[in-house]
Amino acid sequence: MNNDQASSGVFFLIGAAICLGSIRYKIGTLSEPDSGLMPFLVGAAISFFSAIGFFQASLKKRQGEGWNRIWGGYLWPRVLIVLACLFGYVLLIKPLGFFFTAALFIGFLLRAVGPHRWAVVILGAFLIALCSYLVFDVWLMAQLPKGPLGF
Amino acid sequence: MEILGYLILGFQTAFQPENLLFCFLGVLTGTLVGVLPGVGPVAAMSLLLPTTFHVPPVSAIIMLAGIYYGAMYGGSTTSILVNIPGEAASVVTCLDGYQMARKGRAGPALGISAFGSFIAGTLSILGLMLVAPPLAQMALKFGPPEYFSLMILGLVILTFLASGPMWKALIMACIGLFIGCVGMDSITATFRFTFGLLELSDGVGLVPVAMGLFGVSEVLFNVEKSMKRSVFETKIQNLFPSRKDWGESFWPILRGTGLGFFLGVLPGGGSLIASFVSYAIEKKVSRTPEKFGTGMIAGVAGPESANNAGSGGAFIPLMTLGIPGNAVTAILLGALIIYGVQPGPKMIIDHPKLFWGVIASMYLGNGMLLLLNLPLIGIWVKILKVPYPFLFPLILLFCLIGAYSLNNSVLEMGIMVLFGILGYLFKKFRYEGAPLILAMVLGPLMEHNFRASLGLFDGRLPGFFERPISAVIMGIAIILLLLPLIPGVKKRPAIGDAED
Repeated sequence: MNNDQASSGVFFLIGAAICLGSIRYKIGTLSEPDSGLMPFLVGAAISFFSAIGFFQASLKKRQGEGWNRIWGGYLWPRVLIVLACLFGYVLLIKPLGFFFTAALFIGFLLRAVGPHRWAVVILGAFLIALCSYLVFDVWLMAQLPKGPLGF
Repeated sequence: MEILGYLILGFQTAFQPENLLFCFLGVLTGTLVGVLPGVGPVAAMSLLLPTTFHVPPVSAIIMLAGIYYGAMYGGSTTSILVNIPGEAASVVTCLDGYQMARKGRAGPALGISAFGSFIAGTLSILGLMLVAPPLAQMALKFGPPEYFSLMILGLVILTFLASGPMWKALIMACIGLFIGCVGMDSITATFRFTFGLLELSDGVGLVPVAMGLFGVSEVLFNVEKSMKRSVFETKIQNLFPSRKDWGESFWPILRGTGLGFFLGVLPGGGSLIASFVSYAIEKKVSRTPEKFGTGMIAGVAGPESANNAGSGGAFIPLMTLGIPGNAVTAILLGALIIYGVQPGPKMIIDHPKLFWGVIASMYLGNGMLLLLNLPLIGIWVKILKVPYPFLFPLILLFCLIGAYSLNNSVLEMGIMVLFGILGYLFKKFRYEGAPLILAMVLGPLMEHNFRASLGLFDGRLPGFFERPISAVIMGIAIILLLLPLIPGVKKRPAIGDAED
């Protein structure tokens, strides 16, 4: 299997799932369309185009195009670290408030991905969180979540 | 005379101190995001959109438009000095711009890029001013079938011009249409695909999706590579091009302007395509095509003029028909709707201050950009030297703040992260994000016009071919869809991710 075969296969299933999901909302008829018609047609189109893609990818497979390692030679653990930080930020912002969460987020990224010295990490995290708080919350009144200490 | 009167009204609006400030902030931010690789105008506009809710719509649109054409100016700096395009429309500037810098001619390359951008930007605004009002008058005669056909054509052109196989771009467009369906159906009040989440009843927000696809995914894509980049160490001098440089650039600038404007007007076209086509034409008409890629000034002047003229032209379908031609104007459409302004043929009549104020601000903005770009090039070079490991946490933090502050919703931050992951996977498997964003914005409009058309035709699909304008537009769309199936039709050159 090559990359395009895999991705078009996934999209085919997504299209089919959208079609099935649309039936719940009633499709109606062309003269009296209901809420499910548009998503049903879109889902069918996704499956149709992905079937064309799968066919073309299969022809290329016959010509020798195999699986292309998409993470080969890359520093993919960094991607996982960044994603963990993003999810951590989303989970912690309500209980901890913007300032602490932003400082932790920046500090962790500077240390884990940078990687920078601890002094740079602590100072950078504090200053960036403080400046962001002043600009967005105080100046632009963005109403960022408040933590237990009120900021 | 009527246009002159409206233009005076526009300048009165644009010269108000508040609007001047927002114009300046827009072009400054635009230049900055254009200079910084990895932050495009779509992500920047999405990020700053929530901060404009407290200001009048005219000021907000002036600033957002400034970011767009400012990014076109700024993008050339990184192409010339670092060989990394700051944004997609400056990819082709790398070819000759960087070679000029290596030969010690970074100054004239940056200079002609700024002057060419200024000339093209100004001429395209003139075109916008002259073409938009009559086109809007004509569009008043359009009914739902014509609008639906136009939107189909816009999506088909964008997918046709996308890099890689057309089926991939079509899948992306369909995914965008599906996302546009999420939320309450405006006709039957049925909640579709909301999974019981109240936040999704108004649909999936454009800002978190755009920031995820274009901001977060770009960061994820960059952090997995080595994050070192070197700015070309050369003394930047002679920013004002010589008489010989002007002689070699005059016609490329004019050709690039005309071409960029025309391609910008087409739904689905835009700056990116314009810059590539301009480079190809300059190479074709040159007496020394073999020297292209070795530091020809025409290879910088033409594409840079074309991408700026394209950004001016792209405002025409948005402001006259209410149909965005690319991802950036899709964000602008979203912004206008949020501010309570319905873009379309009646916008020029109903909101003359907004339309003419934005046009006048573009004249001023182009002047500001010229003044900003030439003396501040040293500062942009210093900004380029900020290491990426310092830059990317800031970009992510600003994206998170932007996604949250739109509706004070943690869920929207989650949606942004989710689309960041999806965008990263799309890049890995070579699917483009631009058709998805455009289709997502057009989705509700398309559905509304499709259902209204079916009502008009009593459910008969051939009805779309019984009205002349709709039939012609649909015909073009079908030809473009079928074109790749014809053996021997050469696939257009890969143009990279069409972020603009």
